[in-house]
Amino acid sequence: MPADPNMKILVVDDMSTMRRIVKNILKQLGFNNLEEAENGQDALTKLKADNYGFVVSDWNMPVMMGIDMLRAIRADDQLKKIPVLMVTAEAQKENLIEAVQAGVSNYIVKPFTAETMQEKISKIFK
Amino acid sequence: MAHLRAGQKKEIDVEDDASEPSDPNTKLYEELGELARFIDTTMKTLSEFSTPVSNSTEQLPQAVTHLTNLKAMTEQGTHEVMRQVEAMQDNHQKMAKVLAHLSHALQKSECDPQLTAQLSTIGDTIRDDDKRLVDIMTALSFQDLVAQSVNKLVTILDEVEHKLLQLVVVFGPYQKQAAKSTQDKASEMLRQLEATKSTSMNQDLADEILKQFGFN
Repeated sequence: MPADPNMKILVVDDMSTMRRIVKNILKQLGFNNLEEAENGQDALTKLKADNYGFVVSDWNMPVMMGIDMLRAIRADDQLKKIPVLMVTAEAQKENLIEAVQAGVSNYIVKPFTAETMQEKISKIFK
Repeated sequence: MAHLRAGQKKEIDVEDDASEPSDPNTKLYEELGELARFIDTTMKTLSEFSTPVSNSTEQLPQAVTHLTNLKAMTEQGTHEVMRQVEAMQDNHQKMAKVLAHLSHALQKSECDPQLTAQLSTIGDTIRDDDKRLVDIMTALSFQDLVAQSVNKLVTILDEVEHKLLQLVVVFGPYQKQAAKSTQDKASEMLRQLEATKSTSMNQDLADEILKQFGFN
């Protein structure tokens, strides 16, 4: 099923520059319903309050790390089916395996290109 | 007299040292004396270090401030470049709409097909530049990596500052109070920085691993 261009997407990153980059790429890919969160805790609150179709998240954040947010999403009946794409500088194999085991939908290593993000989104929603 | 005799006896013992084992008490006395001299020299050497260490310790907060400023400046600069890129992207969208209207109008008026072709070329050029603008945006993600490295360095510097303060307080006349309780974050941050250099993977390797887990 191709990605719905109107679905609500949550971009989670503590760095404002990264949120802006990811949002810009998503806009260029045709997605305009975009929201932001600064950490995993903030993201969980927003996810529970609204209907989101997709989450793009960093790993290393204060308050709640991306990996903990991912585990919380997968453990929540209301949220567990939301695809989560991790875009992270945590480029160790152990991190990737931990993310896969926690139920990540795909994984992008920073720095990345718009093409990589497009390819990963296509794979998630194919 | 007794003392003199004891001293004489000691000298004799020392002279006989090479040929016979010396009195254990005298040997212990000498070794303790040697140890006391060593401790005294070490204390003096450490005290001499206390001034430069104290100066370095006082400069460390400045280093942290410089690093924090560096992060803030790269963030501000990155946002400014992004603002300009987004303005250009908005202009391109407007131009693309105008071009589409013009192209449609020219086709309806049955004008020279070369004019329509030229408009189409302009449209292609704008799309190429749009792709470049997105590439500029994604290239700016370097700022996030810089910020993460700076954060790790600041943690390391905080830890080093604290340990240097402890040294100065123990061995020198430094009066400033050592701040904060010791946290062993620095070694972890150093480990992470080193690990980033030696074992970090690129997207191709990440994709290979993902394939092994059934991601296609």
